[in-house]
Amino acid sequence: MVETASDISWEDVARVYGRKIYNFAYRLTGNPDDAHDLVQEVLLRVRRGLPTYRPGSFEGWLWRITRNAFLDDVRRRKRRPTTALPDELDRTGLVSSPAPDEVLASIRLGEDIQKALLDLPYDFREAVVLCDVVGLSYEEIAQAVEAPIGTVRSRIHRGRRMLRERLG
Amino acid sequence: MIHLGELLSAHLDGELSPAERDRVAEHLEECDRCRDELEELAAARAAVRSLPLVEVPAAALGLPEPVVVPLTRRKSVWAGMAAAAAAISIVVASVLAPDGTAVTPQDLSDPFGARVSLDPGFTPTKVAQVRVATGEFAE
Ligand SMILES: [Zn+2]
Repeated sequence: MVETASDISWEDVARVYGRKIYNFAYRLTGNPDDAHDLVQEVLLRVRRGLPTYRPGSFEGWLWRITRNAFLDDVRRRKRRPTTALPDELDRTGLVSSPAPDEVLASIRLGEDIQKALLDLPYDFREAVVLCDVVGLSYEEIAQAVEAPIGTVRSRIHRGRRMLRERLG
Repeated sequence: MIHLGELLSAHLDGELSPAERDRVAEHLEECDRCRDELEELAAARAAVRSLPLVEVPAAALGLPEPVVVPLTRRKSVWAGMAAAAAAISIVVASVLAPDGTAVTPQDLSDPFGARVSLDPGFTPTKVAQVRVATGEFAE
């Protein structure tokens, strides 16, 4: 438990959680630029918020900040179309240069899963990403999204059912 | 018969109360439909979990660039020590954290520990402190 704000610095948060925050945004949007912007915004908010942080659930606190930063960002600008996946494949050279069939197959599979995720309504996509990408418990997700735990459970379940339909 | 519905997802995530766990186990014994649904949910869950964790660009974190500890310098610092100890230090120099703490193979097999040797502020001690501080490993 964090007893006082001085127990932890924003650099610590960046080192330990930066990658998860980035992946949260990346899987919600399919867009690396959005993910990049979000990490910076969240770390800024963590830096501002740490002095007034009160011991409690650090994960709940951090992911509530992350989610609010993400939603503010979505509200602030019209979301760019999520065309990031093909670009990204080009950049890594995996499409242009010959690759083993299994590698290509697993990339396509990942692409299909990402596309199916992007098809889900926001609340369901968010719950599934927090559970299966970030790895939070239902309790932590409930704190992050400020919803009852029963709602979280239902969103994760329905999100998975929708994914299953889309993935065939 | 009332089917299990969202209890199935919670079951996969280990998020059931003991009473719910019993009910799910009993029901699955006798209900094909719920067993099929469980399989489908497990596949959807596994699909999302199979997405690779993308590496975050260092610039996005605003942290100092990773510092690689040069072998020669490390050797000279330890030059006054017994020859045997110095020889060992050369071997381990590449896996020393910048604060001089040796990184064990266990640390390196751990995604947090693996970054230790590259990041000056990311020592094993620090990782442990952050983990404890954030309650990540608190039960
Ligand atoms: Zn049933």
